[in-house]
Amino acid sequence: MAHGYVPAQTHAEVTRDVVATLGAPSRGYVMMLAGAVGLFLVGLFTFVMLLKEGLGLAGYSPPVMWSVYITTFVFWVGIGHAGTLISAILFLFRSQWRTAVYRATEAMTVFAVMTAGLFPIIHIGRQWIFYWLLPYPNQRYLWPNFKSPLLWDVFAISTYLTVSTTFLVVGLVPDIAAVRDQVSGWRKKLYSACSLGWTGSDNQWRHYTRGYLYLAALATPLVLSVHSVVSWDFAMSIIPGWHGTIFAPYFVAGAIYSGIGMVFTLLIPLRKILRVEHMIVDYHFDNLAKLTLFVGSILFYAYAMEYFVAWYSGNTFEQVTFWRRAFGPMWWAGWSMIICNAFVSQLLWFRKIRTNLTALFVISIFINIGMWFERYVIIVSSLSNDYEPFAWGQLNPTWADWGILAGSFGWFGMYFLLFARTFPIIAIQEIKETIPFPRKRGGH
Amino acid sequence: MDETQDKGMDRRRFLTVLGVSGAGTAALTGCSTDRVQKLIPYLVQSEDQVPGIPTWYASTCTECASGCGLHVKTREARAIKLEGNPAHPVNAGKLCARGQAGLQSLYNPNRVRGPQKRQADGGTTDVAWADAIAELAAKATAAGGKVAVISGAGRGTFSDLLATWTAALGGKVVRYQPFDHEPMREANRQVFGVDGLPAHDFASARFILSFGADFLETWLAPVENQRGFAASHGFSDGTMARHVALAPRMSLTGMNADEWFAIVPGSEAAIALAMAQVILAERSSAPSDATALRGMLAAYAPDQVAQQSGLTADQIRLLAREFVSAGPSLAVAGGIGSQHAGAAQVCAAVNILNYVAGNVGRTVRFGADLDSSDGYAALASLQQEMDAGQIAVLLVHDANPVYALPKSSGFAAAMAKVPYKVSTALVLDETAALCDLILPQSHALERWDDLRPRAGVHSLMQPVMEPVFDTLAPGEVLLRVAKAAGGPLAGLQAASWDEYLKTEWQGVARNRGAGNFATFWVDTLANGGLFDETAAPAAVRLAAGAAQVVGTAPAFVGEGEFLFAPSASPMLYDGRGADKPWLLENPDPVTKITWQSWVEIHPETAADLDIREGEILRLVSESGSIEAPAYLYPGVRRDVVSAPLGYGHTNFGAYATGRGANALDLLPAPNGAGFVSYVSTRVRLEKTRRYQKVAKTEGNTRQLGRGVAEAMALGAAQKGLTPEEAHHEEAGGAAHEINTPRELDAIAGFAAAQKAATLKGNYAGEHPQWGMTIDLAKCTGCSACVTACYAENNIPTVGESEVLRGREMSWMRIERYYEGGHEGEPLETRFVPMLCQHCANAPCEPVCPVYAAYHTPDGLNGQVYNRCVGTRYCSNNCPFKVRYFNWFAYNKKAFPEPLNLQLNPDVTVRARGVMEKCTFCVQRIRGAQNEAALEHRPLRDGDVVTACAQACPSSAIIFGDRMDPESRVARSAADPRGYHVFEETNVRPSVTYLAKVLNGAEA
Repeated sequence: MAHGYVPAQTHAEVTRDVVATLGAPSRGYVMMLAGAVGLFLVGLFTFVMLLKEGLGLAGYSPPVMWSVYITTFVFWVGIGHAGTLISAILFLFRSQWRTAVYRATEAMTVFAVMTAGLFPIIHIGRQWIFYWLLPYPNQRYLWPNFKSPLLWDVFAISTYLTVSTTFLVVGLVPDIAAVRDQVSGWRKKLYSACSLGWTGSDNQWRHYTRGYLYLAALATPLVLSVHSVVSWDFAMSIIPGWHGTIFAPYFVAGAIYSGIGMVFTLLIPLRKILRVEHMIVDYHFDNLAKLTLFVGSILFYAYAMEYFVAWYSGNTFEQVTFWRRAFGPMWWAGWSMIICNAFVSQLLWFRKIRTNLTALFVISIFINIGMWFERYVIIVSSLSNDYEPFAWGQLNPTWADWGILAGSFGWFGMYFLLFARTFPIIAIQEIKETIPFPRKRGGH
Repeated sequence: MDETQDKGMDRRRFLTVLGVSGAGTAALTGCSTDRVQKLIPYLVQSEDQVPGIPTWYASTCTECASGCGLHVKTREARAIKLEGNPAHPVNAGKLCARGQAGLQSLYNPNRVRGPQKRQADGGTTDVAWADAIAELAAKATAAGGKVAVISGAGRGTFSDLLATWTAALGGKVVRYQPFDHEPMREANRQVFGVDGLPAHDFASARFILSFGADFLETWLAPVENQRGFAASHGFSDGTMARHVALAPRMSLTGMNADEWFAIVPGSEAAIALAMAQVILAERSSAPSDATALRGMLAAYAPDQVAQQSGLTADQIRLLAREFVSAGPSLAVAGGIGSQHAGAAQVCAAVNILNYVAGNVGRTVRFGADLDSSDGYAALASLQQEMDAGQIAVLLVHDANPVYALPKSSGFAAAMAKVPYKVSTALVLDETAALCDLILPQSHALERWDDLRPRAGVHSLMQPVMEPVFDTLAPGEVLLRVAKAAGGPLAGLQAASWDEYLKTEWQGVARNRGAGNFATFWVDTLANGGLFDETAAPAAVRLAAGAAQVVGTAPAFVGEGEFLFAPSASPMLYDGRGADKPWLLENPDPVTKITWQSWVEIHPETAADLDIREGEILRLVSESGSIEAPAYLYPGVRRDVVSAPLGYGHTNFGAYATGRGANALDLLPAPNGAGFVSYVSTRVRLEKTRRYQKVAKTEGNTRQLGRGVAEAMALGAAQKGLTPEEAHHEEAGGAAHEINTPRELDAIAGFAAAQKAATLKGNYAGEHPQWGMTIDLAKCTGCSACVTACYAENNIPTVGESEVLRGREMSWMRIERYYEGGHEGEPLETRFVPMLCQHCANAPCEPVCPVYAAYHTPDGLNGQVYNRCVGTRYCSNNCPFKVRYFNWFAYNKKAFPEPLNLQLNPDVTVRARGVMEKCTFCVQRIRGAQNEAALEHRPLRDGDVVTACAQACPSSAIIFGDRMDPESRVARSAADPRGYHVFEETNVRPSVTYLAKVLNGAEA
């Protein structure tokens, strides 16, 4: 039935191999988890210090009122986009190659959004009253301002977190049931509870597949809308370098680009550590790389368009902002972004590179760096030289900026690694769907 | 209802003062930190204290010698703000940044908290006042006439008492102020035979020529000068004066000139004489006795002078013709930053120039007899006596000569030879640190006193609150010593200093024929003093010495390729400002540097030497060396380096000590001169290759054609052009509309729809719309408004490390932009006071997720601190960047006790994590509205005055209701020069700027 890749395994082997990933942890895994927890503790310490002393510990230099924290926020929201794209949109498009990787990317999405969700709290001046951003009935008749893009953000992120978590959990149910049937003792009890009484009956499958399809349909617009809303945090302002109509598609493309980059970064080592090299193969990476090339090219176009429009508009504020982005004090960040994103992605025109995992891993690191810098450049360089030249200023990040950044990787990594050992990181039932049923030779 | 209430609460009544009797002070209730432990409601309400209602007292400023009148605002018996006394002839209600920071001298945490005695080990121990006074009495009487006093106190009853007291002991008083005007007095003696300082009438001068006199910063009475300067040089009724500055370094005064010439240092006298020569040669109307100078002036023909001055002969001739044809004109000289060995000759030459142009008696008014001290010569001779061991007891009052004199003068060593030294320092300074007994004085706001800063001005001070610490008025100390000592001092028998002062004033009252002293006294106190200046200036003629004036340049000491020309800091003055955070954080108006000292070097020179901003440069002279970071300043000659005075204290409280470098260390000993030559030595410049970030508040120095600071030529302003039309005219074409009629219709329709939307809901109805106009033709960038804003609105000072991150909180900042200056074009400076523009269409408001930024019905852009969660989006979205964030709990660090007593109870002290910004002094608006409501009358134009507008010595700021077409603000905003910054963003600011007007040379 399938074109392209067909796993050379039987149904039983798939279950066996996937359940094996939940066995005793390897040394590599333990070390990575320890590293992630360590980074998380660094972030936690930094956050406690921020609470105690004030946001001033970070390197904020007015007029740069948003810097590393918002950069990292947008970075993680962006990472969160590839997962839903792969699991929902490609599901609707019936792309077979998504099956092996979608569970991992969906988990990545949920944890990335969980990470991103911390930043609006970390970055505000009075973190202890973050809930004032939520609309809740109160005696003071205070209501948040629905004109503010920041409030749209709150809704976009919380909706996205809810839907993507639901999507992940629903997708997990049959697989958890499969694991339940393979284990014993307390683990059996745990997975029994988590499998929500899944028996695999025809009736259950019928409802399940319908429901999954609807959820996929629900999640699909969010892929486009969430990062559009995030982009409006910037585009709705009047800051030169932010105030662009191109921002929503530009940010969505960037988000997917960064998300797939992160998928490479996570999966290439993970398939080794979990010994599932035979299930996630070149074929998957080749397809992911093609997608990367596509969105990377959109980014290339968007970058070019930003500069073109700045020039073509005749708007001196825009022109100065973009001139300084390329040749100002932050030229190094501006060029990092263009080289890592627009140029490095063009290497993926070559099939040899697309199927060379080492090369892909290296490229994915460039993508991660490039996309972090993209947000850093958009946020910091635009703010540091806007309308009022006398008020211009340059950002100098401090340990507190890097502490929170490191902590966010720790927080994300910690959850991702724990998930990878607790739940099937490869979708058992969907892989099985792609395997032809055993037939007698000379069939059909 | 008592009588007072029947008459209604006239605001003036609050200026009614206490102290009809000497017991008045006793009525002042507790504000001393030591004594008030609990908040207790009044059992018996004090008559003059209504909680929540300010009480105002008239007083006099002591932060420099000019003697401005003060109105001190007190709340619950503590002073919270200083403003100018409108009735006072010197400042007419205005006050500079230094004067306002006098409050931080009162509440300075580094003040000496009680009498102290030096121990054998060099430390100090507390003593009781009675013991301290007994000890001083014993030492003074035992000194056998070998008593000397150095006093910085101005002329007044205290100075008279001090003179009597010292004379009775057989000693002598040297009145000494570092920024004295000794060269000017010497020149006046020589040229006019008058030993005194004249008043200068900037207001009626049509051409102002400054030979290095920084009259907007430290020269004579800066507030008065600025008031006059704004009156004449500010564009009004289609005309303005022209101002040309001649100085090797462009000071704030130079920045406000229509033209600045970077003349060769030391050539001022020759230029002035050359101008006088031209005038005498070309005009027949010069005073008859001036013609006798023709012979002497012949040597200073413009062609001869041109070579050595940096000006061409034609420029000198042109200046001379302008100077005499503008009439009356005014030439001024004698600034600290140009005080070289030939400074007296410069002043003398300028005297001659003013005389031949007929300005003496018109804009230069002798007879005003401005207060000045005995000069450095007197101090130098005292130093010799001390060195020779002829002084046994030295009393230092209001002076810090150990700091203010170059180290090379050897003053500290001479002082060390005096066996018994006493200081009355407020803060333990370098001089007090050498003293054996410290008798801390009560601050001028805590004591009775008076000053006579000039003829006819008799200015009073009164205690506005209980002393913060265990201090005494210096006059009280003298009288108590007299009582304890008896003997020669037995003649000085007054019950107290208060009684003594009042007895003196009874004499004044008698001379004026005042019938009832009690009424006279209360009226005079409420008025701030007696002000009866005579209008007619004293007539002066040239004296014989006029013919001996020489215009030769002075010799400068030492080797080195750079001449060192220190600048007088408008903030730190002679160094006494260095212990006040308000002054340290208010950026230097020229360089915009805070909390640090610096070395100014021309950018081209710096490029030649591969010096970048922030490289620590070592300046080495024969007398010493200093190190400070480089600041590249296009307003300094290529062969001159400059550094500010006032920094580099070694012992002056926590704020000042160790901050920056003391430029005086480079100066050679002022041997034999009658004054300290600040510009006297060449220096060698050594690069250290070490770098330090400069704590400056400027971002970009150029406005990149963005129209932040607009200016137009005088001709364009006279034609009534708008800034835009003026640009078009300059570009050589008429203003043309780029939009089609249909587009214009659409724009107008959109504007109307927006306007309709602003009249809905809460915004409908009869609300005022508060607005402000700022006239850039008047603004000099002096930054008095900045300190006024800090004082009024409890703005925390954040310190050097935070300014380095651009986190200063100044709601009002003075932006300084350069224009021109490339390839020989003249360098032009423009100042723009930038504050929240209270936009009608404010971009900060919609982006706040919690409505902390919102619009009030009366057009204010409000900020609800309680609601703010600190997303800072509002600041990002503000094109003017006038929102400030509390990155740390600045409120906890900025006001160490007792500085917290300065806080304005009407304004919230902002906590960590919230955004804050200019409120248009909403507390003043609501106060005035309440007052009007109580009096059942509508609010009148002028009832609300913001703190910045109140302080502005130039009266450049007008505040009021824009909706009222008759209001001053509406009328001034309708001026064709009016424009909004970043109009293209359609934020519709409530602040209208009036473009600066440039009075260029007539070709």
